[in-house]
Formats: sequence, C-alpha cells, structure tokens
Amino acid sequence: MASLPEPRLRVGVDLVGVERLERLLAEHADLHEELFTAAELEYCRGKRRCSEHLAARFAAKEAVLKAFGTGLSQRMRWTEVEVVAERSGRPRVRLSGSVAAFAERRRLSQLDVSLTHTEGMALAHAVSVWQRPAPGDPPASAPR
Amino acid sequence: MADVDGAVREAVIEALALDDDEVTPDSTLMDDLGAESIDLLDILFRIEKSTGVKIEAADLGDYIQGGIPDEEFSDENEIITEKGAEQLHKVMPQTDPSQLAGTLAADEVIKLFTVQNLTEMVKLRADGVAA
Repeated sequence: MASLPEPRLRVGVDLVGVERLERLLAEHADLHEELFTAAELEYCRGKRRCSEHLAARFAAKEAVLKAFGTGLSQRMRWTEVEVVAERSGRPRVRLSGSVAAFAERRRLSQLDVSLTHTEGMALAHAVSVWQRPAPGDPPASAPR
Repeated sequence: MADVDGAVREAVIEALALDDDEVTPDSTLMDDLGAESIDLLDILFRIEKSTGVKIEAADLGDYIQGGIPDEEFSDENEIITEKGAEQLHKVMPQTDPSQLAGTLAADEVIKLFTVQNLTEMVKLRADGVAA
C-alpha cells in the first residue's frame, strides 16, 4: 500500500509588550476593530486583566501568520485569525476570509496555539501542520 | 500636507526609539531596523497623525502584492513567482526580479520593504486622497 507523504510542520512565535499595545489602543479608538473581532473584545473586556488578554490575542494572530509563512504579505486581516476560548479555557483558533482560503488552498490539516502573559509581556506560540499533496492530487495552489 | 519624507523618517525613529543616524532611506524596516508588526502599527499611526494619510498595516500586503492573486504571486511552496517578482520590483525598485523569482519565500517579502518604499507608498496614498 502506498503511504501518504509526510505532512509539513511549521511553527510561529510572537511576543507583545502589554503596555505598548494598551497605549496604541488608547490612542486609536478604531484600532480595536482592526485587530480584534467583537467576540474577542467581549471576552477580554470581561477579564480583570483585559490588556494582557488582548496582547496575548494579538501575539496569537501574529504567531499564526508566522506559522503560515505569510506574515503581512498575503493580504490578510488580523480579524481573520480569531482566538476563541473553549469551555475548558483552552484557546482555539478560528479562521475566516482570506486566511481561511489560504489555509484550505495550502492544505492546512491542524493548527494549535498556546498563550501566556504576565503584567508586562504576552507570548503566543502557534503550530501548523500542512498536508503534502499525494501523487495524482491537483496542485495545492491551483486557482479555484 | 507635511513633508512626507521627513514625516516617515520621524515616525520610524520615534516608534523604534532609534537615533537619527541609524535610519537611511535604504534601511529595511524589519531586518535593518528590527521592526515587528506592532512597530509597523505604531509607525503608521504616527504617519497618519503628521500627514493625515491613513494606512492600515494590512494594506501593506495589498500594496506590495498589487492585486495579484495569491496563487499567482507565489507557488505551492510559498516561493515568489516571476510575476510576483515583477510586481515587487514595481513597489520596491531596489529589488532585482531575476534574483527573486523562484528563490524568495513569500514570508520574506516584507523584510525587503525599506523606509523609502514606505515613503513612496504614503506619497501615492496622499496623491490619491488629494485627487
């Protein structure tokens, strides 16, 4: 039996200064909506240390885009990488828009993220697993 | 309209807490000057404040890619195509398409973006706003 090609693993990590993001958000009211979804804002505003949670989410978005190998260069919006909290409190990433389309086109099979934060810094680590095309599969980047 | 060259330079120096002589037009924002995405946000806000030109950080990707679909800009291995390299040369004239096509990873593109490239982008947007 022919075995499937080994999947490809890619990681991304990002570190964000809590006070710096807090200052940028305070100075630019519409930045909240540029960076975060309504659900993320609602979740963080319900937390005692809201700024730390926002910084951790921003770090997660960056970490995910790094784990995708795209950064800012593929027309993605930060709100298209949404961090949602499972009942257990464990963070999970939900993709939408151009980020989700990219993930599908390049055969993303798994994505996980881990967050941590202190008073000063927030850090996120993302891991992505990409399925390589099996023999006979159409090219991953073929236009739809 | 404020002097765009001076405004961009000032924004970069202040956001990244650099000395005046550390920033040249040819300095790349990320590799040479060490900017992260949050720094780009800070730089763009400062530019907006001094020039009135609003650019979202995510617009940088749109500007660099120039409307070329992802699958034509880079291949399935996330390497810039010939078409992608030609587009990069339009917005980053310091790049050589023959050197980049087939070798440059898509996530490395933003690392080539210089202070001068950002200045030209702001000027273009300013002209668009004024038109």
